[in-house]
Amino acid sequence: MPERRSPVDLLSPVSRAYGELEPPSEHPRWGMVVDTERCIGCWSCGVICKSENNVPLGMWWNRILTEGDGLDVPTSEHGHPEMSWTPLACQHCDNAPCTKVCPVQATYIREDGVVMMDNTRCIGCRYCMIACPYGVRTFNWGAPDRPNGLETGMVEARPVGTVEKCTFCVHRLEEGQVPSCVWSCPAGARIFGDLNDPDSRVSRLIRDRSGEMLLEEKGTLPKVRYLPARRRQEL
Amino acid sequence: MTAHVDVDRRTLGGARRRIGPFGLWIGFLLLVMAVAFGTWIYQVSNGLGVTNLRNTVMWGQYILFFMFFVGLSAGGLIVASSGRLFGATRFSPIVRLAVVEATVAVMLAAIFLFPDIGRPERLWHIFRYPNLTSPMVWDFTIVAAYFALSAAYVWLYTRADLAAAGSPLALGTADTPESRARDDRWKGILAWIALPAAVLLHSITAWIFGLQISRGFWYTAIMAPMFVASALVSGLALVILLALVVRRFGRLHFDDGLVSYLGALLAVFISVEAFFVLSEALTAAYPGAPFEGDPIARMLTGQFAPLFWFEVIVGLFVPFVLLARRSWRASPRVVAVAAGIAIIGIYVHRLNLVLNGLAISPIGLPPGVSVGTVQDGSSFAMSNWYVPSLVEWIIVAGVLAFGALVFTFAARWLPLQPRQH
Repeated sequence: MPERRSPVDLLSPVSRAYGELEPPSEHPRWGMVVDTERCIGCWSCGVICKSENNVPLGMWWNRILTEGDGLDVPTSEHGHPEMSWTPLACQHCDNAPCTKVCPVQATYIREDGVVMMDNTRCIGCRYCMIACPYGVRTFNWGAPDRPNGLETGMVEARPVGTVEKCTFCVHRLEEGQVPSCVWSCPAGARIFGDLNDPDSRVSRLIRDRSGEMLLEEKGTLPKVRYLPARRRQEL
Repeated sequence: MTAHVDVDRRTLGGARRRIGPFGLWIGFLLLVMAVAFGTWIYQVSNGLGVTNLRNTVMWGQYILFFMFFVGLSAGGLIVASSGRLFGATRFSPIVRLAVVEATVAVMLAAIFLFPDIGRPERLWHIFRYPNLTSPMVWDFTIVAAYFALSAAYVWLYTRADLAAAGSPLALGTADTPESRARDDRWKGILAWIALPAAVLLHSITAWIFGLQISRGFWYTAIMAPMFVASALVSGLALVILLALVVRRFGRLHFDDGLVSYLGALLAVFISVEAFFVLSEALTAAYPGAPFEGDPIARMLTGQFAPLFWFEVIVGLFVPFVLLARRSWRASPRVVAVAAGIAIIGIYVHRLNLVLNGLAISPIGLPPGVSVGTVQDGSSFAMSNWYVPSLVEWIIVAGVLAFGALVFTFAARWLPLQPRQH
């Protein structure tokens, strides 16, 4: 990436070290663990995702759902108020329904398991958005709307009339850094790593704390797993 | 029948250059097409945000009309090929009209894909990079094949008469007994291809929806059979209406007995459709267990109940009653009314299918799905009610006008009435 200088280079060594990927296996298969016990629903991951990936106003690759009936509204169980969140972005499914239905193979699964979009090929039929049960894909409905009209982050803007979504920050993976949302989480609720390495942190967490799949019954086999809370979420 | 005068005035040019009703009609259609084309250019240059589609309801009016016209195209080939395969010779006076109808309808269906997709200039990617697991690629293939089949039928049924009349549309072929025998052989061969192709066309279009496990309301095995049934209803109903219109203009002759016969057949198709609708609703509603944000409750008693009950009562029950009585369906007027409301019923059926299927995201937690555009309040939505924008209506009107134009020309210059020998 000669022309654009990576901001990762500009980071202090401490910050860079904080975002460094665990050494992957020979054929990595990237996956993420979200610890719902740790998530505090602050939306940091959602916001940094937008600036990292140049996502225009009105569009989100990464959103934080509140369990219950309203955004950041506690639920009540036996009189105890409770609150928990499900951060949700592309699940990078092994059996991705979006890649199956795309008529032009514009969305596809890479060798390392990342579900990618080719925005130069996408015809904008939005069939992938129909097929995705997680609602994480967003269409470019018109000219991008940006605060101050400025582009942000390290990724090219996507053309009007095409679909976009989370890429696991592949541009950061190339530099040996975890995705932005993982790096920025103040609660350390997101862990990223190689699912093919049985001893990686993600593999161990999924094993030890039975990492769950969202909408497992749809058979999509997501590579993002959710760790259930071990204690009551009392306020 | 004042319109009679104008249409029969074949030698329009020359003596009097006054614009008659025919010219006005063509002018009107061209005007609508021009406005719609301009609107489409506006849509292409501003993006699909000028429609009321958003990430929540990402498919709407255009896809709906695509499905609707795929269904409408059913009438033609069923009439043409069942006449062949099952010896239903009573159809013969309207076979030509029916195959023209099928050709125009499937062509319009294909045209509706252009405004629907975000980057129409890349549509060729489907041929360049086809993904064979995508039902949309299968559908593209069958739509193209079906168009070719229908067009071939039109050619086989009209070629000899065009040649006999010395028309340039015969492309220089001659009307000889041998060529007529050859056309006839081909019609027989095509009938065997056309009937399964018609069934496939509707099934594959249904599978675009019915194979999607992410949308609980669509993910049902009854989708394909129900699409075939609803296509038969709307397709036959449109053939009946067009036949009556063309007969009124004196371009086609058949007796009221045929209308009554077609009406009876339509009643059978309507009852098959009603059976599938009942079977689907009962299966989903009987356990009383909510699933997937309960689309069935939305359909039977909730937000979509007006659409559903309109479809059942106005779209299925009323036309069935009108057509079931022999004395009622003896009147072409009654058959025409029944056919008209049956078509509207199928349109509402498809509207209900698309909107209800997309009304609520599979993960129903707040704040919902990113809408995709900047708007007042939240840029997320839990559910969405969708009403097409003016842009969408104008573009649909333009495509319909184009269809009407092609059909008008076909009705005027093709020998829809078999010549008597």
